[in-house]
Amino acid sequence: MGAVEFRRVTRRYETGQEALADLTLRIDAGSMAFLTGHSGAGKSTCLRLLLGLDRPTRGQVLVNEVDIAALSPRRLALYRRQIGVVLQDPMLLADRTVFDNVALSLRVAGVPARDLPRRVRAALGLVDLHGKEPCLPRELSAGEQQRVGLARAFVGRPQMLLADEPTGNLDPALSRDILDVFERFHELGTTVIIATHEQALIARRGARIIELDHGALVYDATAPGGGVADGNPAYPQ
Amino acid sequence: MPRRDPWSTPRPALPALVLGWFRAHAFDARDVLSVATRQPGLALLIWSLLGIALSFPAGLYLLRANVAALGADWAGSPGLSVYLTLDAGAEVRDGLAAVLRLRDEVLDVEVVTPEAALAAFEAHAELGDVLADLPENPLPASLRVAVKPGRSAADLDALAASVTGETGVAEVVIERLWVERVADLSALLGRFSALLGILFGTGALLVTATAIRLALETRLNALRVLQLVGATDAQMRRPLLYLGVWYGAGGAVLAAMLISLALVLVEPPLTRLAGSFGQAVTVRGFDGRFVAVLLAAGVVLGFGGALLAARQRLRRLNAV
Repeated sequence: MGAVEFRRVTRRYETGQEALADLTLRIDAGSMAFLTGHSGAGKSTCLRLLLGLDRPTRGQVLVNEVDIAALSPRRLALYRRQIGVVLQDPMLLADRTVFDNVALSLRVAGVPARDLPRRVRAALGLVDLHGKEPCLPRELSAGEQQRVGLARAFVGRPQMLLADEPTGNLDPALSRDILDVFERFHELGTTVIIATHEQALIARRGARIIELDHGALVYDATAPGGGVADGNPAYPQ
Repeated sequence: MPRRDPWSTPRPALPALVLGWFRAHAFDARDVLSVATRQPGLALLIWSLLGIALSFPAGLYLLRANVAALGADWAGSPGLSVYLTLDAGAEVRDGLAAVLRLRDEVLDVEVVTPEAALAAFEAHAELGDVLADLPENPLPASLRVAVKPGRSAADLDALAASVTGETGVAEVVIERLWVERVADLSALLGRFSALLGILFGTGALLVTATAIRLALETRLNALRVLQLVGATDAQMRRPLLYLGVWYGAGGAVLAAMLISLALVLVEPPLTRLAGSFGQAVTVRGFDGRFVAVLLAAGVVLGFGGALLAARQRLRRLNAV
């Protein structure tokens, strides 16, 4: 589960700007891929289309062979419950504890209150934040806050994790830690798609790298450590 | 060939669905109340705005109800006040009273002596010993003539005309005119309160919508997160609607407090004024039913305002 397919997707805004240009792409279920490229390349647009927050001007975005643009608002909400989202800003609720922040997606999904502590503790354990449940976000470091965001994204055991520049606010060491956590989730069978412009950080991770430029696919291969690379100098072996 | 939508989850059993629905509502209602009380300044400001907006039409409704009741009381005993000249003696006074009692249309005649009139005036005017220091009583004797129920305005006019020519009569006042004026005033207040009710009701709705809009802007982050984690539109709207309900209910409570304060201030002079016309006045209408209606109006306005604001803003919400 969690297979993604872009079928000749174009997204053109009212201003005439083309964020995606006839993009065709398939990401298999259970795989891990980095979407990379310069600012404005179309990475975030891909994620917005995958989340159903935007619709393609032309073409189809399919997840598990279902056209996301054709889902009703209610189905779209249910679909989003199968997706974990991590953004550059972890968007934690400042006046809520770590527990409440992580439990939010479970509450939305209607998980009974008696199950919340067990599941929240398990998610926090996966991101090495044992015992931080009663803390407020301001009491945590930037790296810890991002981990809380990760725990919130993963607590519902989604089929797919989407991340938009999740290491944008972190130093290199913390960034590597965060990517390690993503790999841990991937090893649990989750499809992971991370949009990032930090090419140096992803070069030796062994995951698939998809590079976009002006909305078009310019590079698509598995980086060193994972097998195929086609000699793009941006991802040295 | 696209597959069947895998997110069409099977519906849970009805009892679990109902229980989950109640739990979710209880959680949101509690949660939003705690959010509102964490910003007491903002909550108080919104409650005050709504309270003032609600108290105007509600206060006018009470005023109209009381004026109408006052008119109704007077309408039950229409009649005349016959003021005698200062030099009219007891013989003239009692003779005129006896003549009037013999007339068909007259129900009763009450004789008010100059001494009784002075005593009543002293009691109501609160002039202390000033009147006692006067060399002589400046008030004339008078007769309060009550006519039988069902008599027309023309009967009263005819009675007044016949009394006006009698010896010792200085002035005849038809109390029906006052009653008619009260009825006219009541009708005017009714129209006015309906108009103000619409205006202030709309104002309260817009105030609530604006307040919720402000609250919504401060909660945008939370709404974006809710959208990302798969909350339906109804789930995102629900806390905002509860916020509107709390604000509306708080505004209604404040409006009830403002009106009760106004009544406490107005009741003593009103009672004195009515007493000078021989009427016992108790303020009517401010009871449990009135407060319940006020509360319901506040809740409905709060809910409506929140719905208005939430629909406008959530349509443009974009998490990423």
